[in-house]
Amino acid sequence: MGRRRRRVDRGAAVGALPEAIAALSRTLPAGPSPEIFRRAKFDRPEAAPALWQLLFRVLSPLSADGASASPAQGEPPSTEAQVRAVKSELRSQGYPRQALAQLPEDGSQGSRELLLALAWLLARGPLLERLLAQTRVRLGDEIPLCECEALARPGPPVPRVEADGPVDIRHLQWLMGKLRFQWRKLITSQQEQCALLGKIHSYTRGCHSDRSLGHLSVAETELLRDAEGGQQDTVLGTCPPEASQPTFVPRIPERGAGEWELVARELQALQEELRGAAEPRRAAWEARVGGWGPEWSAVQRASREAVGLELAALQRAWERGGAAAQPHGPCRLVKSDAGASGGPGLRAAQVIEVLRSREACLEAVLCQLQRQCRQELARLAGALPGLIWILPPGR
Amino acid sequence: MLPADCSRRLVAELRDALDACAERQRQLERSLRVSRRLLRTWEPAETPAPQPTPAPETSGEAPSPESTPSSQDLKELELLTQALEKAVRVRKGISKTGERHKALSLKSGSAATSATTASAPSRPSGQASCRVSETKPPRGIQQTVVPARGLPESRLLSVGDRTHMGRGSRATKPGPGPRDQQIPPSAALQAPEAFTLKEKGADVDCWLPQPLWKPCSGLEGGSPQSAASLSTGFPDRILLRLPMAYRKAASRNSRLWAQLSSAQTSDSMDAAATAKTQFLQKMQMTSGGPGSGLSAAAVEAEVGLLRTACLLLRRRMEEVLSADPADCMQEYRCLLTLEGLQAITEQCLHRLQELRAVVGRQLGPWPVGRRPGASLPCGGGTDPLWSPQLLLYSSTQELQTLEALRLRLAMLDQQIHLEKVLMAELLPLVGTQGPHWLALCRAVHSLLCEGGERFLTVLRDEPAD
Repeated sequence: MGRRRRRVDRGAAVGALPEAIAALSRTLPAGPSPEIFRRAKFDRPEAAPALWQLLFRVLSPLSADGASASPAQGEPPSTEAQVRAVKSELRSQGYPRQALAQLPEDGSQGSRELLLALAWLLARGPLLERLLAQTRVRLGDEIPLCECEALARPGPPVPRVEADGPVDIRHLQWLMGKLRFQWRKLITSQQEQCALLGKIHSYTRGCHSDRSLGHLSVAETELLRDAEGGQQDTVLGTCPPEASQPTFVPRIPERGAGEWELVARELQALQEELRGAAEPRRAAWEARVGGWGPEWSAVQRASREAVGLELAALQRAWERGGAAAQPHGPCRLVKSDAGASGGPGLRAAQVIEVLRSREACLEAVLCQLQRQCRQELARLAGALPGLIWILPPGR
Repeated sequence: MLPADCSRRLVAELRDALDACAERQRQLERSLRVSRRLLRTWEPAETPAPQPTPAPETSGEAPSPESTPSSQDLKELELLTQALEKAVRVRKGISKTGERHKALSLKSGSAATSATTASAPSRPSGQASCRVSETKPPRGIQQTVVPARGLPESRLLSVGDRTHMGRGSRATKPGPGPRDQQIPPSAALQAPEAFTLKEKGADVDCWLPQPLWKPCSGLEGGSPQSAASLSTGFPDRILLRLPMAYRKAASRNSRLWAQLSSAQTSDSMDAAATAKTQFLQKMQMTSGGPGSGLSAAAVEAEVGLLRTACLLLRRRMEEVLSADPADCMQEYRCLLTLEGLQAITEQCLHRLQELRAVVGRQLGPWPVGRRPGASLPCGGGTDPLWSPQLLLYSSTQELQTLEALRLRLAMLDQQIHLEKVLMAELLPLVGTQGPHWLALCRAVHSLLCEGGERFLTVLRDEPAD
């Protein structure tokens, strides 16, 4: 019975393959024709350039370095540049096969290897959905819950004149102050935008044809207002395809391996300190408790469980395990009075809880860093006697 | 003065941070402009809105003298109450046509504008009729209010004209039947795709049952301003309808997304998932080595996580060590906590060594010049639900809290990164004594330990003599 089903499935699968490939070639950007796929299966060299181009298009919005040509720029980069970019991006994503790295850079060979690479990308993650999400029109008022999409997009490179020459530390202080002020401005603007959104949502309640949404989004309301002016045909075209806000993507320090060594040093130091603190206490405890009876074992077990729970919670704080349960990607904001417990969609209250716990974790990290700085500075300053350091109040 | 390369790096980092902030601000301001423009037509806060209540007239309503509005308002209120009662009866009534006549008579009693007279001769289809008749009284109410207040005709017509013009420009579009038989104030209704501006009914009772309002479109000549300013318990809401083409496309879109997500939960997805994992494993094996399949970015991200772990573990350790255990149980718990922390630290170290090995073996020299988190795991790849999920919020405050938290998280991320960078660059400088060391020390302390917000004071400890 099982065997027969397998055979039937395989037969069904074989029949479905041409359709699937046709669909794939339609949906992929710069999609090669199904004929190219077939030729690539047989490793024909003429299929290679198309596949290099396809991989370049698919990987370029995801690649971090600005070497990929954005659509806004002029002509697409040369074949060699495309090949190099694809190779480096695949390698950094962990593509296992070495054969790809050894393909010639003129892009003339290796179509079967490229087909394998495409299959690997498709198998690893929701590639098609991600491509779709990048190009779709955003109809709703979206709020990105997780920043991974925004991080994946490099954003336009900003040409900046680097400050040559030494600066005074007061310049740095000034820049920090400017940054703080900008954040404050940002927060107030954001609050205003939320208030306006709330108003628009409540004013347009009942207008949307989709029951579950119930009201219009800003884009849809704008659609109506602009359509009023008679530009209805072009209205859908004006919906902005990319409305997500970029997050702060930190610049890479020039020494990448330094982070690893730093973490290793810190962890080892921590381990030493913990051992130094725990061992004597254990010895002392054993010495005291040695003679105590079995009634302690239940209490001990309870303590162990409690501590275990605390430590597990601590571990969760950095492991972001909880984030997996939360869908990432942008969510459409919908104002709903009932807060009905049934029905699809996240509730803002839950999201707020998750964000608060994450905020607590980040605050703890920042506090800890500042404390370490303070200790280090105290140590350095203590080398100079004859000075009194008065710390600022209100900590 | 700081050394040149250090300055360059730090200034670049801070400028990056400022640019990211400025980019967010630009996008926010763009959204703000759009939202403000949309709301301006509904809430002309600057221009004085006509007040129907006996409250003192705001400036700008020229024609009627001060005494007349009050008596007119009283009359208005009476008519309003009557109409409201009628509306409630209509809602519960059975005969639709009778109501329509009633509504018409109500309207004829008022100084109707040209917009309303046009609605009389139309004959709505069956479906639209019940809808229309139910909305008639509210519309009638609105019609009585508006002219009685002496609202300049121009304003009413200007709104109507706007809709007229809008509709006229789409006159070329063909329309389905029932549309033509609406009771729009504008007789010039040609295009079915006209979205309709309609005032909301009196109160909750007058809300139409949901399935009914869809096919209808009774166009009001009412101005949104008057809707917003009606203070007789009318919810100030406007009914806009999206164009037909858009609605069709949107419903098809959501149907396809629903299909996609339902297809993902079927059994075939499990088979597909196992096939995928098998394929990936085979790829891994044939590559000639047991790699872990980790990308360079994932490795970097994990190292970052381990650094955070180290900080949090150390913080917990300091808390435990500084607490004075009051009794045996607390002592025991301290001991257990310390040992537990030690175990976790060892796990982290072990994991770090593994990552080092992965990098060395598989990815070549440590990758530099990459943005971290470019393909951040983030639970990614497991649940490809990329259809836009809904996020339901119940009040503006909730939304503001949510957004404020998101911003705060972004700010904290940025602060932590800057803190690490500044630590790495500035602490070594303080270690080497140079000119103006005290000033440097003070500035570094403020930047690193107080976020640049507070300063400490240094006093020279002069001997008493």
